[in-house]
Amino acid sequence: MHNQPKVMIFEKAINNNIKFNKMKKLALLVAFVCVASVTAQTQYEKGMTKAFELWKNKKNIEAVQIFERISTAEKENWLPPYYAATVEIISAFGVKDEAVLTAKLNKAKTFLDAADKLSENNPEILMSYALLNTAYIAFDGQKYGMTLSGKNVAIYNKALALAPNNPRVILSKAEWDMGAAKFFGQPLEPFCKDVKKAVELFKKEEQTIKFYPYSGLDRAEKIMKNCEKKSSQN
Amino acid sequence: MKQFLFLLFILTQLSLTAQTTISGKVTDNKGLPIGGANVYLDGTYDGTATIDNGTFTFTTEETGEQTLIVSFISFETYHLTDLVKNLKNITIKLKEDVNTLDAVIVNAGSFKAGENAKVTALKPLDIVTTAGAMGDFIGALQTLPGTSNVAEDGRLFVRGGDAEETQIFVDGMRVFSPYSPTANNIPTRGRLSPFLFKGITFSTGGYSAEYGQALSSVLLLNSIDEPEEERTDISLMTVGAGIGNTQKWKKNSLSINASYINLKPYQELYPDNNEWHKPVQSFGGEAVYRHKINNNGLLKLYGAFSTVNFDVTQEDINIQEGIRFGMKNRNLYFNTSYKDFFKNDWSIQTGLSYANDYSDLDIIDNTVQDTENAAHLKLKLSKFYNSRFRLNFGAEYFITNFNEDYTALNEDTYNYTFNNNITASFAEANIFFSKKLAANIGLRGEYSSLLNEFTASPRASIAYKSGANSQVSLAYGQFYQNPRNEYLKFNTNFSAENTSHLIANYQYVKNKQIFRAEAYYKDYNNLVKYNTEQPLPTANYSNNGAGFAKGLDLFWRDNKTIKNTEYWVSYSYLDTERDYKNYPTKATPSFASQHNASVVIKHFISNLKSQVGLSYNFASGRNYTDPNKNGFLNSKAKNYNAVNANWAYLISQQKILYFSVSNVFGTQNINGYQFKNQSNSNGVFESRTIRPAADRFFFVGFFWTISDNKKDNQLDNL
Repeated sequence: MHNQPKVMIFEKAINNNIKFNKMKKLALLVAFVCVASVTAQTQYEKGMTKAFELWKNKKNIEAVQIFERISTAEKENWLPPYYAATVEIISAFGVKDEAVLTAKLNKAKTFLDAADKLSENNPEILMSYALLNTAYIAFDGQKYGMTLSGKNVAIYNKALALAPNNPRVILSKAEWDMGAAKFFGQPLEPFCKDVKKAVELFKKEEQTIKFYPYSGLDRAEKIMKNCEKKSSQN
Repeated sequence: MKQFLFLLFILTQLSLTAQTTISGKVTDNKGLPIGGANVYLDGTYDGTATIDNGTFTFTTEETGEQTLIVSFISFETYHLTDLVKNLKNITIKLKEDVNTLDAVIVNAGSFKAGENAKVTALKPLDIVTTAGAMGDFIGALQTLPGTSNVAEDGRLFVRGGDAEETQIFVDGMRVFSPYSPTANNIPTRGRLSPFLFKGITFSTGGYSAEYGQALSSVLLLNSIDEPEEERTDISLMTVGAGIGNTQKWKKNSLSINASYINLKPYQELYPDNNEWHKPVQSFGGEAVYRHKINNNGLLKLYGAFSTVNFDVTQEDINIQEGIRFGMKNRNLYFNTSYKDFFKNDWSIQTGLSYANDYSDLDIIDNTVQDTENAAHLKLKLSKFYNSRFRLNFGAEYFITNFNEDYTALNEDTYNYTFNNNITASFAEANIFFSKKLAANIGLRGEYSSLLNEFTASPRASIAYKSGANSQVSLAYGQFYQNPRNEYLKFNTNFSAENTSHLIANYQYVKNKQIFRAEAYYKDYNNLVKYNTEQPLPTANYSNNGAGFAKGLDLFWRDNKTIKNTEYWVSYSYLDTERDYKNYPTKATPSFASQHNASVVIKHFISNLKSQVGLSYNFASGRNYTDPNKNGFLNSKAKNYNAVNANWAYLISQQKILYFSVSNVFGTQNINGYQFKNQSNSNGVFESRTIRPAADRFFFVGFFWTISDNKKDNQLDNL
């Protein structure tokens, strides 16, 4: 019976062979870690893929829940809480009830803070913080604009200093600046240049980390098209 | 033995590979099922969401002790640690998160503005863009119900209370002389610049046990923790100029600003009814240094210095050449505060504020030199047991040292001095019984060494959410305040003055609309009385005064109905009488008007890049004593009316042009009447109408912000 040797190991362990016991523990630990990491990898991929699929199908709540579950299993990985937060923030735009809005954004902030703890000064997380503030400003500019728009500008400046060639940072900042320029009837050209730069950087970006938020090229190209339309009109 | 071990092993092995089913039901505290809740084992991929009837089932290969987590938006996350095999058919009751926007708020008596306010009666911008407020946050607060318009004074008069009954605190520390000194009949302004603050709580009664020495009202200002960025602000105004600069380092930031005001050019263009020998000239400088300690600790050092001087002759019916009044004031104020969070959900807040105020007054041929040194020390600890129970307690110490040197016309000199030290301690519990019912219960004890008296002030407030959008609250409290300096300098054989507040509040909040109604009753006791025309060293003083104030405050704010427009309407009804000071009988004091109303409208015009504002203030006529008739405070002056307008034009992101006019229509308001001391040959006391120094006031300013970020401006500073 192939179980027999293991029983012997048990017996020996009971016999207080400390040295052996230690070795066994180590061996078990190594084995466990290997197994855990192998199975986790696949489970992680499976989970993330499923969550993205749900998100794509607009099942935001379900997607957030899976990201939340993955984040408790993957305690060192900032991506699951980052996505849990980001999905929640995006779905908060257009919410009409302030109580619902703040409940969603408070929840999102908890996830974002968790992600930020795992990966400090991460430009992608900073962009989600800015997006969270924008959701408040979009809901009620008079109430939230004064305090949060200043915060956002500070976030953009910080992110740009940390990652001057991150296309998402450049794009988000350009979009924010365009909003203000439109309001003041100022030319959009300087910001269109930024968008163009972002498009180039998006195309050059090496996508090495699985599930990393590389997206944004489509949006950048759309904005650039608008820019080109405007300049051809002039 | 071997057999046994073998069996044991098989069993273990089985349980290792076997799947355990975890199942149960999630409900709210009433037992109603919660569908869509996230249920999972901590640290694993095993989990699911509950279906509509609240049930869940999932399998796991985990064994032994595991933690089951149930999370759902607007509910507190639930943790249950148990053996996996026990996690079957369990019923989980989720507690509602009481920290949400739709939870009940214990708010009787108070208005909040700025960060962390759940229901904002005033928004941050309102503090500074309310027409007629002239950038003074006190002015903006006067458009809220519960305040009386006293045009010639400018300070806060709350619910039948005198201006002295309101205390102002910055970061929990007392501000000792919050208003700039002015001449008679000219309204004062707050000394603190509004842009230092991120949040304001204005309580018109029933406030927390943490605050004392205020009979009627407290104004709590929270200063900015961390400025967003480095910037320089320049302002050029018709009445002066100002400059400010903020620098940031890793864990530190420093903001400094300086302003110079000189009313001479303005008064040459638009002379008022006073004869100015030296128009008001003031210089002020402020500095705030903030230092972060570790992750959560924050130390703030605030210092302000200001000087004001003027020399004026004002009309007086009894003195033909008028009364000459000269003032040189110098004020130094420090406020240091430190807050930090410790393990086990303890937090600390401590601070020290210190003020040195020196005034040199020349009144006709008399000189008065007043020096006040005052300090406030405070230590407050909070323990956050859970989201439903929080305990705050602390101790504080107030020191006031007052000295007056009075030199009369005949060179006789007099000196009056006293030390007014008060020790106080307080404890307060914040309790949420549910999302619908919450209460604050507190007690404050104070010992005054000057009066050799101990007072105990119980405070309690309770709030109940009566509907999805409405709530009712009740508050009760006892409040004590030592008699003011102008009495203490002559007499110290007093008790503390006392009021009790009883407040009932109804609030309805729905999508950018707020309606509030508040009824109150205030009972005044132990008010100071004296038997001379002015408080004098020779007067007889007592604590035999008493009075009451009752009324109804209504507030409506709508940010929704009209596009790009916000407006609010306040109305206050006040019925008050008191017998204090040298009143021969109980009467409605001259600062109290029965009806007060304000309408404030703000409209944004995108095409013009402008915000225009209009406000209308109304106050029914206030009492005065006409010696030609029988009785005391026997006549009413006419009603007060003023329409104010302002216009902020954004030239570019960083440049703003601002125009403001108070009392656009130049309504001839009357502040009161002055009568001759002696009757004329017909036995009539002749009178003089006391009118505001000027009917209208114009203000034009240009504000320019220089920063890396090209979108900042000073709109919030106006």
